[in-house]
Amino acid sequence: MRLELRGITKSFGSLVANHNVSLTVEPGEIHCLLGENGAGKSTLMNVLYGMLTPDSGEILIDGEPVTIRDPKDAVARGIGMVHQHFMLIPVFSVTENVILGDEPVRPWPFVDYRKAVTMITELSQRYNFDVDPHATIENLPIGTQQRVEILKALSHHADLLVLDEPTAVLTPQEADALIMILRSLKEMGKSIIFITHKLREVLEIADVITVLRLGEVVGSTTPAETNEEDLATMMVGRSVNLVVDKKPAAPGDVVLEVRDLLVEEDRGLTAVKSVSFDVHAGEILAIAGVQGNGQTELVEALTGLRGVTSGSVILKGYDGNLAGAAVRDILHAGIGHVPEDRQRHGLVLSLPVEDNLVLDQLSDPRYHGRFGRKLRAIRENARTQITDFDIRTQGPELEAGSLSGGNQQKVVIARELSRELRVLICSQPTRGLDVGSIEYMHRQIVANRDANVAVIIVSSELDEVLALGDRIAVMYDGKIQGIVPPTTSREDIGLMMAGAGNAATSEEQA
Amino acid sequence: MSESVESTPTLLRVAMRVREANMAMVLLCAISIAIVLGGLLIIFTTPLLTASWGGFFSHPGGTITLTLRTVWYAYEMIFQGSVINFHATNVLLHHWSTENFSTFITPLAGTLSYATPLIVAGLGLAIGFRSGLFDIGGRGQIIGGGMAAAWVGFTFNFTPVVEISLEIVAAIIVGGLLGGFAGVLKAYTGAHEVIVTMMTNYIVVLVMGYLLIQPLFAQPGILDGLSKTINPSAQLPEFLSHISTTLYFNFGFVFAIVAVFGTQWFFDRSKTGFELLAVGRNAEAARTAGINVRRSTIVTLALAGGVLGLSGMMQVAGVDHHISPTFGGSYGFDAITVALLGRNRPWGVFFGAIFFGAMATGGHIMQAVTPTNIDYSLAQVIQAVVVFCVATPALIIEMFKLREPARRAAVNAQGAAA
Repeated sequence: MRLELRGITKSFGSLVANHNVSLTVEPGEIHCLLGENGAGKSTLMNVLYGMLTPDSGEILIDGEPVTIRDPKDAVARGIGMVHQHFMLIPVFSVTENVILGDEPVRPWPFVDYRKAVTMITELSQRYNFDVDPHATIENLPIGTQQRVEILKALSHHADLLVLDEPTAVLTPQEADALIMILRSLKEMGKSIIFITHKLREVLEIADVITVLRLGEVVGSTTPAETNEEDLATMMVGRSVNLVVDKKPAAPGDVVLEVRDLLVEEDRGLTAVKSVSFDVHAGEILAIAGVQGNGQTELVEALTGLRGVTSGSVILKGYDGNLAGAAVRDILHAGIGHVPEDRQRHGLVLSLPVEDNLVLDQLSDPRYHGRFGRKLRAIRENARTQITDFDIRTQGPELEAGSLSGGNQQKVVIARELSRELRVLICSQPTRGLDVGSIEYMHRQIVANRDANVAVIIVSSELDEVLALGDRIAVMYDGKIQGIVPPTTSREDIGLMMAGAGNAATSEEQA
Repeated sequence: MSESVESTPTLLRVAMRVREANMAMVLLCAISIAIVLGGLLIIFTTPLLTASWGGFFSHPGGTITLTLRTVWYAYEMIFQGSVINFHATNVLLHHWSTENFSTFITPLAGTLSYATPLIVAGLGLAIGFRSGLFDIGGRGQIIGGGMAAAWVGFTFNFTPVVEISLEIVAAIIVGGLLGGFAGVLKAYTGAHEVIVTMMTNYIVVLVMGYLLIQPLFAQPGILDGLSKTINPSAQLPEFLSHISTTLYFNFGFVFAIVAVFGTQWFFDRSKTGFELLAVGRNAEAARTAGINVRRSTIVTLALAGGVLGLSGMMQVAGVDHHISPTFGGSYGFDAITVALLGRNRPWGVFFGAIFFGAMATGGHIMQAVTPTNIDYSLAQVIQAVVVFCVATPALIIEMFKLREPARRAAVNAQGAAA
């Protein structure tokens, strides 16, 4: 399919989300749409998918001007969308999910499952998907679930696939597999619009790259003509420091001592299997690993959100074992926590920014006095934090949910840093953030390390782990495979993440 | 009229601004719809009018005049019966006397008197709703509080201040225990509060039925279940009894206003209130921030129960002075509607309850004085339509083509662009 968008403009009130945006996607082309959060990528795709009506501009498919009224229209015209948050029903099988809404029937009202399964098996073989049509969605890894979404679009005869930040939720291996799939789809003549802000991926798979900034097309280029630095500059509008700028660590005494920690996950299986490590003041311990190898449970145990089966967590200067203590006590002991999912765990999106900035300090005498909450002090604090952390909001009284992802994360980190911290635990600190915000978060994390805080970051982004970590602990299957210096090669760490123990480069565990 | 609007851009601009979908505008539209629908209902249910419309073409002018006059009269009587009686006002202005003042104030006193316990009950439910907990146990908690207050009221005979304070404490404790029970079950076993509170209602109603025929509660000599009357010292003082013994408007209204301010403070300023709000909006984030979600759930439901218990006390000590088997009746459920109408805001609940009071008081007057005896249910229909419209603002915004408030529009735009 040849898709052409001409002069699309869409505004919400005074905010212009898209201004005169034009782009062309040729058949068999992978077109990357690059831009910071809020640059207007999603708005543009929602216009294409019929979820928003543009104020002006037109859409042409194979040279014909078309009007797309709703997503149904878009699907009928061969446009398939894979959303960042999957639209799958977890308890249904792959087949049921794919045919949902368009079930083959024989005679009505019976669903012809056999026909459906055959169709899915055929599709899956043709595109090399390796998906079991009978598997239940919730039992499938994220990468496979995503393939089911793609399968669903293909089953509706999509000729143009839109993928909205498809790799944000994937492990490096899954991302590689996805890229292979996209290449084979391309060879079969499908057009693909790939939305992302990961520069490395863009350079790897794009045929054409279009960069959006503040709702306008800044430029179009190809991987051969550009590099990461140029792309980042185009996106942000200024030159961005992609390499984390940090001095060598000057580690002090051990601050946090974790010994033989055993933690169970929700179903009662052991998720963290006797993990021990130390964190020193003034160093960053990066915990690497493919998602789902116990990192989430480890962080939840350290922050009191999850009970501990056995083991100890000793914070120097704090009397007693922090393992299994109440969340409030752990926070008061001086542990800061930037949770993995800021929208679910970090913020109450429907409450104002100012309240979110003191969410874990409600009893603090600064914000709570004899007559209740000190609203003026809370507002004052918000004003200061908004300035200090450069949080882009129209006001402290606005809902946190109205901020962009990067600014939401700034609210969380601003809140955590406004307490006296001894340990800072950041889980996936830059997931889903754009280049500018990533740079910002990294600088904050390093600044805290330099202020002698013991920092733990958990990340499934290998780049991030290598860039930030002073020591890197690799987790696999609930255990720490080894703790290695950041000079270790990507390949070696990759192997450890896949379960191959690497005792040779492993430090002695203290 | 239309000419002047077109020729004066300032007026037009004012009109544009008015079309913004703020709460007052939605309410105004809701009331307009209710008035139109109510009018149609009057036409269809009044034989005189249906007959007149049957012969519309022979005397169109007369039909329309008759219809407008009838419908207008019904609404006017609701208003005069619940707020201000024009005739009584006129008389009072010309001849000031306590008797005339009594006639003048009767409609308003009736409205406020009906609204008083409803305000407090609505506040109790709003506490739960604001924190995402659906306490359906209003009726049971009202009965529990009322029974406790009644028991204190007919058992002891202290000075009024002590006695009434004791009633309040007893009512809050019993209501709070009933609510807290649901809270504990929810917090520790995950039992859904809707089911638990709804079932508690049945238990409490049946326990009340049983107690009312036991010597502990039953009024001697009456077998079909009526409690002893509470002692005069336990009754909330009447404001206007010195004017006329038929005027009912008791001290409970002051409690209601205090409760409104209290709830407002609780939501806006108190730490617990804020925690409840945070837990209601996003329990996971609240937990991550160190808020004890279990404790918060229990406290919320206990507090809501306590306030509902207080409302039961106000009904017993202020209005009924005894417990009859129908005590609590539908007003536990009316309170849910009031909380909804007031959008769980304390002052919203206050005015919502007064609106309910006005419809109940005015509706009865209307039925009594309209020549064709238009049924009382007209008032309830108006009430229902208003609540329905307020509960579905999206419908109103669409019907009247209102514009979204500027601030929200900006927020939506940011959300869509991100």
